[in-house]
Amino acid sequence: MWWYLGRRVLQAIPVLLGSTLLIYAMVFAIPGDPIAALFGDKPVSATVKAQLESQYNLDKPFIVQWLLFLGNALHGDFGMTYSGRPVSEVLAEVIPVTFKLAVMALIIEAFFGIIAGFYAGLKRGKLFDSTMLIVSLLVIAVPIFVFGFVMQLIFGVKLGIAPIVVGSDPSIPDLIVPALVLGLVSFAYVLRLTRTSVVDNLTGDHVRTARAKGLSDGQVNRRHVLRNSLIPVVTYLGADLGALMAGAIVTEGIFNINGVGNLAFQAVRKGETATIVSVVTVMVFIYIVMSLLVDLLYAWLDPRIRYA
Amino acid sequence: MNPTPLLQVTDLQVAFSQEKIEVQAVRGASLTIYPGQTVAIVGESGSGKSTTAHAIIGLLPGTGRVTGGSILFDGQEIANADKKKILAVRGSEIGLVPQDPMSNLNPLIRVGKQIAEALEVNGVATGKEADRRVVELLEEAGLPDAARRAQQYPHEFSGGMRQRALIAMGLAARPKLLIADEPTSALDVTVQKQILDHLDRLTDELGVAVLLITHDLGLAAERADHLVVMYKGQVVESGPALEILQDRLDDYSKRLIASAPSLASQRLLAQNRTHIREAAQEVAEETADEVAAAGSEFGRGKETIIEVKNLTKVFTIPGGAPWDKNEFTAVDDISFKLRRGTTMAIVGESGSGKSTVANMVLDLLKPTSGVVEFDGVDVSTLKGKHQQLAFRRQMQPVFQNPYASLDPQYSIFRSVEEPLRTHAIGSKSEREAKVRELLDKVSLPWSVARRYPSELSGGQRQRVAVARALALEPEAVILDEAVSALDVLVQAQILKLLADLQAELGLSYLFITHDLAVVRQIADEVLVMEKGKMVERGSVDSVFVNPEQEYTRRLLDAIPGGTIELSS
Amino acid sequence: MPESPIALPGQERFVAAVEETPLADTGSFDDTGSPENQWQEAWKQLRSNWLFWVSAAILSVVTIVVCFPQLFTDIDPTYADLSRSLDGPSKGHIAGFDKQGYDVFARTIYGARASVLVGLFATLVVTLPGVLLGAFAGFYGGITDTLVSRIADIFFAIPLLLGALVGISVINNLWPNRGYWASIFTVVFALAAFGWPQVVRIARGSVLEVKNLEFVNAARAIGKTRRANLWGHVVPNSMSAVIVLATVSLGVYIVAEATLSFLGLGLPPGVVSWGNDLAAAQVQVRSGIRLGVMFWPATALAITSLGFILLGDAISDALDSKSRNRE
Repeated sequence: MWWYLGRRVLQAIPVLLGSTLLIYAMVFAIPGDPIAALFGDKPVSATVKAQLESQYNLDKPFIVQWLLFLGNALHGDFGMTYSGRPVSEVLAEVIPVTFKLAVMALIIEAFFGIIAGFYAGLKRGKLFDSTMLIVSLLVIAVPIFVFGFVMQLIFGVKLGIAPIVVGSDPSIPDLIVPALVLGLVSFAYVLRLTRTSVVDNLTGDHVRTARAKGLSDGQVNRRHVLRNSLIPVVTYLGADLGALMAGAIVTEGIFNINGVGNLAFQAVRKGETATIVSVVTVMVFIYIVMSLLVDLLYAWLDPRIRYA
Repeated sequence: MNPTPLLQVTDLQVAFSQEKIEVQAVRGASLTIYPGQTVAIVGESGSGKSTTAHAIIGLLPGTGRVTGGSILFDGQEIANADKKKILAVRGSEIGLVPQDPMSNLNPLIRVGKQIAEALEVNGVATGKEADRRVVELLEEAGLPDAARRAQQYPHEFSGGMRQRALIAMGLAARPKLLIADEPTSALDVTVQKQILDHLDRLTDELGVAVLLITHDLGLAAERADHLVVMYKGQVVESGPALEILQDRLDDYSKRLIASAPSLASQRLLAQNRTHIREAAQEVAEETADEVAAAGSEFGRGKETIIEVKNLTKVFTIPGGAPWDKNEFTAVDDISFKLRRGTTMAIVGESGSGKSTVANMVLDLLKPTSGVVEFDGVDVSTLKGKHQQLAFRRQMQPVFQNPYASLDPQYSIFRSVEEPLRTHAIGSKSEREAKVRELLDKVSLPWSVARRYPSELSGGQRQRVAVARALALEPEAVILDEAVSALDVLVQAQILKLLADLQAELGLSYLFITHDLAVVRQIADEVLVMEKGKMVERGSVDSVFVNPEQEYTRRLLDAIPGGTIELSS
Repeated sequence: MPESPIALPGQERFVAAVEETPLADTGSFDDTGSPENQWQEAWKQLRSNWLFWVSAAILSVVTIVVCFPQLFTDIDPTYADLSRSLDGPSKGHIAGFDKQGYDVFARTIYGARASVLVGLFATLVVTLPGVLLGAFAGFYGGITDTLVSRIADIFFAIPLLLGALVGISVINNLWPNRGYWASIFTVVFALAAFGWPQVVRIARGSVLEVKNLEFVNAARAIGKTRRANLWGHVVPNSMSAVIVLATVSLGVYIVAEATLSFLGLGLPPGVVSWGNDLAAAQVQVRSGIRLGVMFWPATALAITSLGFILLGDAISDALDSKSRNRE
């Protein structure tokens, strides 16, 4: 197992370097004035311009620029926002909020997705299954912000039970509706994945052997079907973090949650590309690290890898 | 005073509903098993033997249901019994040893725990007591180092070990009847024998009755007291094993027995072999003369058409660590000669390297060292497209898996025509005529040509593969387990076809197989391989009658039913 | 082997009557019906799936709307009458007006074109090169494979929306006044740039599975060159998974464009698209007034992308049962 893990970590490093390079290149390697790339046609004061030039080392060759950027990033120095605050300071404030939101979304989507998928798979072809399939398709087909608005409307405006906008230090109940919205699309994928897994496992030989031993249906489902079906789902949940982060931008924007996503959202609104670059870099970083952790978890869960 | 039967199946009917149509899988099957007896159900695929066995414990897959008849176990009716009753019977009264050891164990749970489950659920033992018992059961099933093994996961076991674990699981709650569904067909022949011997002893000791499901008539005759032969869902013959084999009353059983390569009556067919070989060699000699006279740039017209000298293949496999490279010698210093018009068989169990040899002879794999000579020309010296194509024309393969040997998107016509097109032979109408001829040679009707592989049976697909192999009029055909995936009757047909073609066209065959019994029927020379090395080589007659090596003797011994004497 | 004992009851010698069990000719096959290869079989399977027909109906309607919007409305979607701002439905204007005075129904009809085109082009740009790359990587292995896989990993590590976000944001700054087509292709390439790794992975996986099948080896033994083998045998048999992915992706990309527009980074405000209309309708939803302004484009969007996703699902089922029926 350790070699598997070691290999995965080694693989992750060039990916990390490569993706930060890619993001950086998208802004700074394009022909044209990088300052224009960062600002467009908004007016730039001379001081901010000079500060940015030194921050991004624009006088140096591109690769050096990137390495310095990376070096700074590893020290937590992401430069300044357009309004003069250090990005790292802002990030420290907002990351915990998004973390709360993302974890809640993950729990909701995993919990409901797995249970619904499990029962849909067990009762394949019956009403519950067909209903769940249609629901999952609808959820994937509708953009996340539409759901956001609809939820906001229903729970916030019409029913009045949840805050329309969440404000700066949200408590867990405040975040329930946004977490629902954030996790909705992933819930659909988890449901379908679990369902397919369960259906596959139900017809598996080892399930028949279990029954031949004299286990009841309930025992078979719990001990032999459920566990075996979960492994692909765990892998998916890991990869899903990326989607969650992207989705956070929209969700936090709609509900005005003071998280990383909203930071990006506002930056996009205002055309503050430099901030976008920093935020996206951090998000990608987190995503890659989290994927790695999920891989480790998977290696630990599957005895075929753990005891290879 | 007659004993009471343990299991009495009367007029069993089983149906599956496929897309709103009911398909009868078993039609009125009846059989009886007495305590302590071993009864075997023999049949090919689609005969309903497995379905019958699974119906007994209510484990029919998917949409299967028992639609008629009765199953009396120990006096109780268990066909379509309610859940409670059938659960009580499963495991503790009737045990199952399923077929494929890999897929039948849950890969995520330790082996010991899975066996303990059988004890737990049937009220035999729990907790520490169960764990202790599990180790005992594994030892009983013949698994060495049982205490350590019980803590391991299925993927850490070999095929034979997994099967033993499954046997332990089936017998854990000491059932009165054990259903063994093709318990060893996924295993090597020597391992098969060990496990079946062990199972016999064990069930005798414990007084457990066994219902053995198998496609191998020889095996059934060896191990069972009473045989039931099934065909297309019906019982066509049943009775004491020896009587059935010797009297041969029913048509189907007659065919089965006649085709079963392992039964000793095949010694008769060996005489036919001589005729075929002589005819083939005659034609081959003429071809050789033609080739020599033509002075073709490829081929010298020698008597030895394929010669292999000191062939070796070493694979480097990455180990756990990136710098860790394990070297695996798949083939170690193999040499042999294949004479024109004859058949040489390479025999070995899985992992012996026989298929690797075939791939190197076909030049699909480069040897690490050693030489493959075709008709006097060293295959590795072939340069340029022209020479390579000329070589390809002379030697063609037929592979094992009929479901993967034809491109599912090509019509049969296109598949057989492909070699002709690749070598740009003939005009369109000439090619069509040739395909017709080829299909005719393999006894397939012309209407097959526009069909697709998915519409044909396994045996028919292999015929197409043979037709395709003959398209370029090769001198040698390499058959890599070409009949291993086929039912016995179909297998016999294909072997006969191959023999006829050999006599007619003067072909030389290199026949790779794990089935020694088949070798007796069709080969002139045999090479026995074990773990990459050559164990014994010689004419079929001498090796079979007087094997020199211990390993060869073990292989011969392991042929199921090989020792049964049948009257002619 | 014991000698024949006296048979116990139920175990007497039994031979079935010949007429009951006629032996089938093992060479026979069902020559009725027309020949069917796997695609035709899958098509049959597809035809019997009611969801396929639902998606086919949806997509047919969508196609007509995209190509001939004039058939559905004669109102100009770019004509704004501020005096009718936020008016409700009335005669000739079944969906009423939005904030700027545009006719909502007309905009919904005309908006189909931009949104569907983005989805279509993004899928084409991603799938064709993606399949080639994946096929080469899987078939030839070695350096090609390592290179392609690592690069795909790097792009894959950046979530679709995030990458598109940065890309479009930069292009917006550098090149603010693009025309209609330039805008569409900006979004297309931004999405394609981060969507291609998935196609490559799936294509590569399929090719890896197929290339070791026996008919590929048989073709080599016949003398076919590797390249002829790749295009003649391997690629055609690897297409199933890619087709399903492409179909579903179309739907996903349409939704992605809408999300980008919502963020202000999709098509420029001058272009009539569902995404832009939805973005503009935010205020309506917040206040709860005149929800119809959001409802119409949202429903049109959902139905269209649903059409593609349903189709992908149905195709996947049809192809899957084909492989499951094969023993």
